[in-house]
Amino acid sequence: MYGWIWRHLPGNAWVKALTSLVLALAVVYVLFQYVFPWAEPLLPFNDVTVDGQ
Amino acid sequence: MRLVVKAFSEACITTGTLILLFVVYVLHWTGVQAGAATDGQLDTLQRQWAGQDVPARQPAAGPPPPKPYEDGKGLAVMYVPRFGKDWEWPVLEGTRTATLKKGLGHYTPTARLGERGNFAVAGHRRTHGDPFKDVPRLRPGDAIVLTDGTTWFTYRVDTKPYRTVPTDIGVIDPVPRASGYAGPGRYLTLTTCEPEWGSSHRLIVWAHLDATRPVTAGRPEALDS
Repeated sequence: MYGWIWRHLPGNAWVKALTSLVLALAVVYVLFQYVFPWAEPLLPFNDVTVDGQ
Repeated sequence: MRLVVKAFSEACITTGTLILLFVVYVLHWTGVQAGAATDGQLDTLQRQWAGQDVPARQPAAGPPPPKPYEDGKGLAVMYVPRFGKDWEWPVLEGTRTATLKKGLGHYTPTARLGERGNFAVAGHRRTHGDPFKDVPRLRPGDAIVLTDGTTWFTYRVDTKPYRTVPTDIGVIDPVPRASGYAGPGRYLTLTTCEPEWGSSHRLIVWAHLDATRPVTAGRPEALDS
């Protein structure tokens, strides 16, 4: 998968490396901003109330 | 064959990285975000309180009816000397997941701060700033101090932390079940999760209102003892 992405990125090695870095950061951003906040309440750390549910 | 091994190893690395990132998110990032959110909430409350004039004397007709708490908005600041001098958390209205990320949450159906009944507050024990991490260290006699901008309320803990099940809603009743209180009074209940990283039980602490003083009279001694 990573090899496939690397081969399909345009430009020389430096441009590819830079693009990869930006892509990786974008993925981390999406994870921290959207995916993890969604996933975290599914874990038990958030249950601090007594609510009969 | 080589392709399968390669794909499998890439999947393993990806999964491992994902888990690592998630751990960083839960252990570190939620705390950073909670820090920023609570600072914002404390600022908002301070500005709000600075803007309102503290009534020097009550008008003859009695105090005006208090404004109802707004869902998700700050209503008080809590201090617990046992948790450290810097321990200062905003109490927001409601116990929704989004609200509890920004501070402690007041159970909407329960009494207002300082009123007759039970002012019940929920908070995270772990993650999102770990506000109630030290709840198990609370002992009878410990002070829990709150202010709503006009009055300081000093509550005193009456019980050792009590362990119960999540469905035990009687613990936030006006006269909490199992608290040992015999009759109506001005009570405070803290709830958090038990065990520390789990959700199978809840940890409950009860306190009663011991003293009040207007903010104009200065900080209560309990804060500096």
